[in-house]
Parts: sequence; structure tokens; C-alpha cells
Amino acid sequence: MRLAFILSEIGSGLRRNLSMLVSVILVTFVSLTFVGAAGLLQMQISQMKGFWYDKVQVAIFLCVDSSASPSCAAGPVTDQQRQNIRDLLASPSVDPYIAGEPIHESQQEALGHFKDQFANSPIVDSVTAGQLPESFRVNLENPEKYEVINEIFSSVPGVDVVIDQRELLEQVFSVMNVASLVAIGIAVVMIVCAVLLIATTIRLSAFSRRRETGIMRLVGASKTVIQLPFVLEGVIAAVIGAVLASGTLWAVSHFFIGEWLATEYPNTAFISSTQAVLLAPGLVLLGVVLAGVSSLLTLRRYLKV
Amino acid sequence: MVSSPEPWPRTGMKWAQKAAMIRFDNVTKVYDRKSRPALDSVNLEVDRGDFVFLVGPSGSGKSTFIRLVLKEDRATRGAVYVAGRNVANIPNWRVPKLRRGIGVVFQDFRLLPNKTVFANVAFAMQVIGRKRAIIRETVPEVLRTVGLEGKDHRMPHELSGGEQQRVAIARAVVNKPGILLADEPTGNLDPTTSQGIMKVLDRINQNGTTVVMATHDDGIVDEMRKRVIELSEGVVVRDDVQGIYAGAGEAVL
Repeated sequence: MRLAFILSEIGSGLRRNLSMLVSVILVTFVSLTFVGAAGLLQMQISQMKGFWYDKVQVAIFLCVDSSASPSCAAGPVTDQQRQNIRDLLASPSVDPYIAGEPIHESQQEALGHFKDQFANSPIVDSVTAGQLPESFRVNLENPEKYEVINEIFSSVPGVDVVIDQRELLEQVFSVMNVASLVAIGIAVVMIVCAVLLIATTIRLSAFSRRRETGIMRLVGASKTVIQLPFVLEGVIAAVIGAVLASGTLWAVSHFFIGEWLATEYPNTAFISSTQAVLLAPGLVLLGVVLAGVSSLLTLRRYLKV
Repeated sequence: MVSSPEPWPRTGMKWAQKAAMIRFDNVTKVYDRKSRPALDSVNLEVDRGDFVFLVGPSGSGKSTFIRLVLKEDRATRGAVYVAGRNVANIPNWRVPKLRRGIGVVFQDFRLLPNKTVFANVAFAMQVIGRKRAIIRETVPEVLRTVGLEGKDHRMPHELSGGEQQRVAIARAVVNKPGILLADEPTGNLDPTTSQGIMKVLDRINQNGTTVVMATHDDGIVDEMRKRVIELSEGVVVRDDVQGIYAGAGEAVL
């Protein structure tokens, strides 16, 4: 009986306050979408890290004719220098940092890779093997230890430059991190809007039903019976907003990332729409907590029990 | 007639058998430090089954008395006992239980305009979680007691003032409280209608409910010949067992 009664109270409250309710739903929807977008970006970053960090290498480029660095002053790398570098890579001071065997990429192989990579570009036809440096590709035991390798090799005769491919990725990640920070920033502003709007809505709702709540008080209705319909009103609106936000995030990850980005960039690991769905319970919970807390605080002030 | 021989609420507190229903023990209530107290060292007792008129001009403290009994306000000094319990010692979460033992009627009826007569009375039972079957059984009974048989499905605006007040009384007693507080229940009604309301209140009192009625209506007080407590500027100036509205000093004879 009491449950049915509370439900009917909620129903009448929702009908009476429909336009405010729609605005609460929309604001929670937008704010939680931004929260979720930030979450998706972070998931994407960690996905890409996992995917790329296994593959990225430190490349030790050797001198060619056109190299300008001081260690290349003597011209292109000699066989003696190449052997020195090979020995150094195998020496006890370097070996512990390296995972697996260093791979040597000759100029001819470099040209092959280059041609694959820029297959659609007219530049391919004008490049010869002599223009591309040969290199040693090294997988690091711990990718953070790049500086050690750089220190040891960058001044060795015959080495042009040591490049950490991870650094290139880090730039991509830092852009994505900034994007997710921006999303969080917008989300925070929107959440503040949502909380204030929920508070105002509940306040109006409590005011428009002050006659009922006054009588409820007089005949000895408990605090729960009096307050619950109002709190649930806000919570229901927030849950609807959270569900809409989850749906939007799923749609974006499924149609935009899954079906478009993933086909455009087949070599990149993208998050799946299933991962976006994992965010949904979190968003709903966040919506429930925000709406519940803000309506309880409002009721404490504006609804005497 | 309220059919139940036991007027106390089944879910309410244990009402002390012997103790006074309402006891004010040196109660002072100050709303604003700069003005005089609304109640000033009031001592009074209302026994179980009493019918008491609380008279006095506006601002004499009648409404404050009612608010203190309901624990809407706290006494500044002194203690208010309801059914033997000091209301100051009732924790906030138990206050609803206190209020279930007390029915209240106001001058302005306070009905819900969008609910029928039946729904208005049933509302008081729904919000304390009564079963639907019990509500369907009890509400018509109570409506009969207050003389509103067959008007279950009217809306409040279709009723006369007297009938609306009867609905309010039905709502106040439907949960079978031990005490009925009436704050100027006839204030908006003509004398004939008021008499009808008094008959209803008397009948409820006959059934064992303690009734405290704050009023300005001298005709009614004189006719009923019940106990009269007169307040003036927050002080009890008269307490007659079978009194009339005007005190001896006020030269009616």
C-alpha cells in the first residue's frame, strides 16, 4: 500500500513539473555524456599504450652522406664503426636494458618499408636507398630507460641520431589527455548546473505540494514517506539522463569509432563499443548520487518534516 | 459513531492509563526575546476523556499551546507531557508517532482540493501505511460519524463550509487519535452550522477522545458548559470546570 502510494505521489509530481523535469534530464544527459567522453578517451589512451608500447622501439640511425651531426663528421658509417656498435649493443653495460635481439635494418630494407608506408604518395619514386639511413632497432626491457641508450649511443662514431619512437606516441597521448581534461572541465561545469537545477526543481516541487506535505506531517507520516517522492523524482530524472548519455556514448563508439575510424585506420587499436557499455553503470550511479544528494540537501532546507 | 471501543492508535505509543493526557509543567515559550513570552509559566492538565475550551483573545497563546503539544515548537522553559511523555525527550524520528496520536482541525479546513471527500480522509491513512482493505472499511464509517454519509465522491468545492469542516474532522480522527486539537474550528462558520460541528466534536469526545478546542465563539462555549481555560497574554487567568466564555470579572451577569 505504502509503495503504491509513494509511486502515485511520484507520478503526480512528475506530471506537475514536466518541463522542469525535461530540463533536468537534458542537463544530466549532457553533463554525464562529457564525463563518459573523458572516460572513453582515457580508455582509448590506455588501449593504445598497451598496443603500441610492445611495438615501439628505439631506433639508432647510422650516418649517411647527408648526415650533419658531429659524430658523422667522418662521412657515412664504416664497417668498423658498424661492428663497434654491434659489440656495444651486446656488451654487459647495455644488454640488460634490451629485450630480445637488436634488429639491423639496411638501407635497402629501409627503402622497402618507406615504400610500403607511403605507397600512395608520389614522393616514393624520387627516393633512393642511399638517401635513407640504415639503423639498429632495439626493443627496451623498460621503455622508460630510453635516456640510458641515448646517452651511450648518441656520441658513438657512426651514429647519426637516436630516436625514441615512444616520444612520438607521447605527443599523441598528451593531445588526447588534454582533450579528456577539457571534457572533464565541461563536465564539471555541467554537473554544477545539473545539481543546481535539480535543487531548484525539487524546491518548486516541494512548494507546489506544500499543502499535501503539511497534512502528511500533521497526521504523522514518517520523514521517509514525505521526502521519498521528491528524492525519487530527482533520481528518476537523473537516471533517464544517465541512460541517454550511455546510449549516446555507445552510439559514438559503435558507429563513429567502430565502423568508421577503425576502417580508416586499420593499424590502430580502438576501444570497442562493449567497453563504452561498461561505463554505463558508473554514469547511472553518478547520476543517482548527484540527484539524491542534491535533493536531500534541498529538502532539508525547504521541506520541514 | 466511531465503532472501535479503543480510541488509541494501534501503532501509537502506549498511552498511560492514569496520567493526564496533556500536562504543561511551568511552560514558557518565547518566540522573540524583545516581546513578551507567548506562554508564561503555564501549568495545566487535561485529563483523558476531557473536553476543554481554550479561550482568550488573539495572541493570548492558544495556538502556541497547540504547537507545543504537536512538538512543532519546543518550550523555552518547562516541560510539556503528552500521554505521560515529555515531548522534549521524543527524538525527531519518533515525532510522527506522537502526531499519529493527535488529530488536528483548523479554521481553514485544509482539505486537498483535487481529491474527493473519500480520498481526503483516506490520505491520512495512506501516508501512515494502512492497508487498502482497512481504509475502504474505516473511511465510510468515519464519514458516517461526522454526518457525511453518501458524500464520499464529492469534491471539496462542492461542499458547504460546514461539510468541509466535517471532512477535516473525519480526517483528523480516522486514525483514532487519543487527542483531538481543534484550532477555531467554527471560526468560518455560521452559528447553526457551528452547532452541528460541536455535536460532531461532542460525539467524538463521548467515544473517549480527549478534545481541546481553541475558540472565540462565546455562544458555543456558553451552551456546551464544558471546562474552560482562559489565557490572557500567555498566562492562564481562569480554569472553570463547567465554565462559560466570559470570566466573572468580565461582567456578563
